[in-house]
Amino acid sequence: MIEVKNVTKTYDIKKNPFTALKDISFTIEDGSSVAILGKSGSGKSTLMHVMSGLDKPELGKILINGKNILDLKQKYVDKFRSKTMGFIFQSFFVQANESCYDNVGLPLEIAGVNLSLRRKRIESALEAVELQDKIKSRAKDLSGGQKQRLAVARAIVNNPKILFADEPTGNLDSVTGSVIENLLFNYNKKNNVTLIIVTHDSDLASRCDMQIHIKDGQIESIDKRKKKK
Amino acid sequence: MKLRDIVIRAARSLKQAKARTLLTSLAIAVGAFSITLSLAAGAGGRAYTDQIIRANTSVDEISVTKASPDEQSGPRKYSVDNYNPQMSFFTGDPLTQQDIDKILKVEGVVEVLPSYDVQIKYITSANSDKYTASVSVFSPSVALKYAAGSVDGGLSDDEIILTEEYVPALGFKDNQYTIGKTVEIVVDKLSAPIYENKTKTFKYKVRAVSSESGLAFRSQSSLLISNNSAKNLYEYINIDTRGYGNFLGASVHVKDAETAELVKDRLMDMGYLAQTSADLLGVVNTFINVLQGILLGFGVLAILTSVFGIINTQYISVLERTQQIGLMKALGMRRRDVGRLFKLEAAWIGFLGGLIGSGLALIVGTIANPYISKALDLGDIYLLIFDPLSIIVVLLGLIIVSVMSGILPARKASRLNPIEALRTE
Repeated sequence: MIEVKNVTKTYDIKKNPFTALKDISFTIEDGSSVAILGKSGSGKSTLMHVMSGLDKPELGKILINGKNILDLKQKYVDKFRSKTMGFIFQSFFVQANESCYDNVGLPLEIAGVNLSLRRKRIESALEAVELQDKIKSRAKDLSGGQKQRLAVARAIVNNPKILFADEPTGNLDSVTGSVIENLLFNYNKKNNVTLIIVTHDSDLASRCDMQIHIKDGQIESIDKRKKKK
Repeated sequence: MKLRDIVIRAARSLKQAKARTLLTSLAIAVGAFSITLSLAAGAGGRAYTDQIIRANTSVDEISVTKASPDEQSGPRKYSVDNYNPQMSFFTGDPLTQQDIDKILKVEGVVEVLPSYDVQIKYITSANSDKYTASVSVFSPSVALKYAAGSVDGGLSDDEIILTEEYVPALGFKDNQYTIGKTVEIVVDKLSAPIYENKTKTFKYKVRAVSSESGLAFRSQSSLLISNNSAKNLYEYINIDTRGYGNFLGASVHVKDAETAELVKDRLMDMGYLAQTSADLLGVVNTFINVLQGILLGFGVLAILTSVFGIINTQYISVLERTQQIGLMKALGMRRRDVGRLFKLEAAWIGFLGGLIGSGLALIVGTIANPYISKALDLGDIYLLIFDPLSIIVVLLGLIIVSVMSGILPARKASRLNPIEALRTE
């Protein structure tokens, strides 16, 4: 369970204060899929950064399974992130000159997973996104959709509990985009992994269990279609 | 993150910027090259002088002369001791039998051998012309190169060591044939009046023939006989002359190299001038060390320059890979590990540069060695000696220097804000 309590985040406090998040509170159940919706500049990306421990708000609490990650030292936040979270970005951020194997292996290296376990995990992650035949190809030789599938493989390789996706289909055409969507939602259902998608695509958002609408750093509305328990 | 993974990742990042990595490490290679060569030249030079000293003196031998009287202006006062018409070129006082007895009583001294200055008239054999020659005393601890025969242990009093050039001169077929043959040395009695010339023939069996060596000063031109033989010759030549019993110096034999230093100090306290072979070596080595230091300085200067190259390269690398660093941090890579990654990249550059530089030095040195020896007439001695340990030390040193130059860029990388780094719009 993720509880966000009274989170406020202000940028550039001294010169030109800009409040990106104002007193945000909500709760996400384990294994649910959540869309954070809003226009650009609304603060939705900041919210994701704050929830994943990449950014620190001045006020509020982020409780993940009852533990406030804002109380942890940076070292432990990093460790927590590498063990329990997966990330997918709009611009993929795959390493063009590295092989698919090395790209997917990066989170395992960072988490310090044993060499003997790695190959199996990387292979099954690539299998899950149907890229097993590209294991030795360089990432730069892949198409856009394949790159994002590679990024999904990288995000799930370490068996995360929470999957963050920042505009995962933003750079893709609708056909390849829907492939990625299906991948994410299937993974979410099958493994009971919490999926948090930041997007401004309402079609994508409508597939989620919960939609959090952000406007000017504040919650406009929260829609819950069905409760998962 | 495991160190092994960071090392591999660092190497992989460098491989993706091959030209830049190579150029940066070439700068280090220049320094490594000159440092490796200077270390090799220093080691070779010291080994060379060591061999020279060893071929001419021995570590358990101290050469002793009397200290010159204090320098004074004006004419020196006459005394029986300093009146010596036979050694007029020698300004110091000679050693007398009294001195030798005194030195013999010094603790640690095994043997005192006065330097018998033997001037023979000529050397000849059964069927050859007469030849002039100089005769010296054989010392078993001095390294000699033999063309034929050899001397283990001591030289008997009726034996002689010839040099190669005397073999054909004295009418012998070859070096091996000469062994065991008899040669004759004829000496003059100096005290005999010129109209009543007295000479005596001493016969020696050839024990060995020494060959020319690039190292020896003395043994290559002198014929060697035992100390007793030299004494016998000396006695006959000099008896009843004014110089009889006066020696230029003496060689004092002690147990080993350590006692040599102690005995030397005691002799100095007694007013003698004493010099061990280590002293002699020290003088020459100081000269070599200075030369080596200059070469080394150039190498260090080159390394210092390349440090800025590494810093520059690594800063550019951090800029280029901002996004990658951001991603790694977002995926939970710790600041310390990010810093390590960039320091290790610098370490790889240093290692590569060291490998190229030292490797080139090794190749060039190995190829050049025979030519240098030929040009300087060193015989079979090589002037460049590559010590694997010193090459390892150079490599390690370069890695440490490189890591230190990588610290600033690594800090920049580790402090990068992942959110900023991943902002693409």
